[in-house]
Amino acid sequence: MTAFAELAKLPAFMRRDMRIALSYRLAAIGGLIAVAANVLVLSLVGKLVDPARLPEYGGSRASYMEFVVIGIAVSLIVIALVTQVATAIRNEQLIGTLESLLCTPTKVGTIQAGSAALMVLTIPLRTALYIAVLAVVFGLRFHADGILPGVVVIIAFVPFLWGLGLIAAGVILTVRRGVGALTLAITGLGLGSGALFPLSLLPHWLARIAAENPLAITINALRESLIGGTGWSPIGADLLKLTVPALLALGAGMMAFRFSLARERRKGTLGLY
Amino acid sequence: MEESREPAIHVAHLVRRFGPATALAGVDLDVRAGEIHALLGPNGAGKTTLIRILAGLTEPSAGEVRTSGAAALVPSGDRTFYLRISGLENLIFFARLQGLRLRAARRRAHELLADVGLAEAGRLPVGRYSHGMQKRLSVARALLQTPTVLLVDEATHDLDPEGALKVRALIRDLATQGTAIIWTTQRIEEVRDFADTVTVLREGVVRFRGSVAELIARAPEQRFVVTIRNGHPDRPPDPAQLQHVLSGIAHVSAGQHEAGQFVLVPSKDRTLGAAFVALATSSYDVLSCRPERAEIEEAFMALVSEGSG
Repeated sequence: MTAFAELAKLPAFMRRDMRIALSYRLAAIGGLIAVAANVLVLSLVGKLVDPARLPEYGGSRASYMEFVVIGIAVSLIVIALVTQVATAIRNEQLIGTLESLLCTPTKVGTIQAGSAALMVLTIPLRTALYIAVLAVVFGLRFHADGILPGVVVIIAFVPFLWGLGLIAAGVILTVRRGVGALTLAITGLGLGSGALFPLSLLPHWLARIAAENPLAITINALRESLIGGTGWSPIGADLLKLTVPALLALGAGMMAFRFSLARERRKGTLGLY
Repeated sequence: MEESREPAIHVAHLVRRFGPATALAGVDLDVRAGEIHALLGPNGAGKTTLIRILAGLTEPSAGEVRTSGAAALVPSGDRTFYLRISGLENLIFFARLQGLRLRAARRRAHELLADVGLAEAGRLPVGRYSHGMQKRLSVARALLQTPTVLLVDEATHDLDPEGALKVRALIRDLATQGTAIIWTTQRIEEVRDFADTVTVLREGVVRFRGSVAELIARAPEQRFVVTIRNGHPDRPPDPAQLQHVLSGIAHVSAGQHEAGQFVLVPSKDRTLGAAFVALATSSYDVLSCRPERAEIEEAFMALVSEGSG
């Protein structure tokens, strides 16, 4: 089976996931309402925040809403993508379709990629839409010429999340119930991301570590381009910073997942849940 | 069809252990292209473990396993589909994973839904299917691409007789096209006139391997349930008197359910007819007669109980 033939299977996964997602319309609406409620709370909290304490981007000082909307958007990407990659195979195991998939002439990598393909492809669009809607509703001032660089940053950030998701998927496949650990990891990542508050509020040593957090790098780059209107100029350094952790996470994730799948086959427990 | 020298499925000295338990203890098995090979055995015999190893879902602990191509599987459970989407969409999805383009996948899915009698239910979510419908959908999925090897684990277990007949006909067609088939079942009698060869497993060990006729020949004795009348409707025949009449011809004992019903076992080299003649000569009427268990079931029971306490 050629790589092209494997690639041609990805739309089948997307069609399947789209149809399944459409069968859960109420859940999707519930999710949107939860995000809206979250944003509303932060808009009220934002009235208490002195903008002078927020960092400047490209010489512009942001309002708290402008600051936090970007942080939330990227955090949502993290939660959606890592959770999707990590739990897709677990869900297949739970509903009993994992073995059916593995009985087809499809590579494990294709099954993994296919299970997250719809999410990966729609995330830049969903993020852009999310920011655009909130910008209109709350009258936020974002630079339109920062959208494209922002999308590129998000695309560069996705492999890192995919890698984390694969590591988590491997752990979940082995220990079955690993969602708690996954939530803990995402929370830790979020705490040191500067999504809801400037990293300068953290203790100095922690702020220095957090500054290297790929999530913090992504959020900062998005704020530079959307709030500061810095365009393409600072993006290059950020993309470079994101490349190394992305490659490391992706490599480690693929190894972890393959290892745990082989272990399950060896133990004969692939179908157990 | 020209028979290949190489078996389509070759299993030699296969061992699978789960911790201290041994599920398969040195199993040998060869199935040729176009052959339907029935795999029989009581629960825990190792049938499903063998099927899972052949499907590549479990690794063997030791031994050799070879198939002439990727094996298609009809699993025993019914949790093998996406319940929120339709049977048609499920088949299209799996067809595309088999390498079919969307249009071809859709066409093939429609054909197979019709073949397994699910054409009308094709657009319903699989979650609304009965066990039997899901099983038929599972058979349809296995046939998306004509497989060289098909592993069927308890396909007719939940099916009504008509559905089971339909599935067996589909499988028989596939064997005619050259697919090697392993068919596990608890319905011993369905193997007759369907399977070509049989393996009987017990506790991971092959107890019998041969043709269906050879298996039937292993039946130790035939037991018949007969209803006998002696002219007194309110007083059934006495078993001791009957045994006296049938002395040297058959052994007779009282049946468990109804008065006047007896279990009759012809003696070695004596026929059922001889027993009936002896009864008629002594003014007994034989009202009905049926085998207590089918010969094939007798053979199976004898094989799986050999050596057990």
